[in-house]
Amino acid sequence: MSKYVEFTDVKFASRECLLAALKALGYPAEQVEEGERLNLYGFRGDQRPETAEVVIRRQHLATASNDLGFRHTSAGYVPIVSDYDVSALARKHKCREHGFIAKLKATYAEAVVQEVARRLRGKVVAQASGSVRKLVVRY
Amino acid sequence: MPEIEFTVDETTGALTAHVKGVAGPSCGDIQKLLEALLGGASKEEKTPEFYRRVVTQQRVRGGAK
Repeated sequence: MSKYVEFTDVKFASRECLLAALKALGYPAEQVEEGERLNLYGFRGDQRPETAEVVIRRQHLATASNDLGFRHTSAGYVPIVSDYDVSALARKHKCREHGFIAKLKATYAEAVVQEVARRLRGKVVAQASGSVRKLVVRY
Repeated sequence: MPEIEFTVDETTGALTAHVKGVAGPSCGDIQKLLEALLGGASKEEKTPEFYRRVVTQQRVRGGAK
């Protein structure tokens, strides 16, 4: 049984931007469950002690995945990912070993940029240079 | 034209923001928006533009009768 790890140093402050990031990674709204203290389940359907407010069920993730959760805290949403899925999701999303959280953070950052542009009624101009992506919002 | 330059490191997911062409308190409004979406800056540096005074001009129409 793969235990869950809570990435307390990673916090997604905006629920809307988190949902936008998950959608960009291939998890549209219909695959994302939202609620209060939703139970997380392991790949065999076993209920785990961890709960979360935003959950992607294991059938939408990878083979033999456990549920993926985001627990709501005063500072934002904290990812709760099983040990197994740290690697499995990295493989699924074609990022380096243990790179899923980094990819989610980068995708969240891009959702934040889009949200800033929307609120300022601006435009986003993108430039990429290696592993660094530059996004300029002009308004 | 004011702009915000964001840099996203795809390897680590780290985001940096540089606000340009926005002087004084307006820059604070942008900062509040970014903090609401990002949960507070881990490091903040004010650029010289922040300290530039915003000069507003008032025009009085009309003249001596």
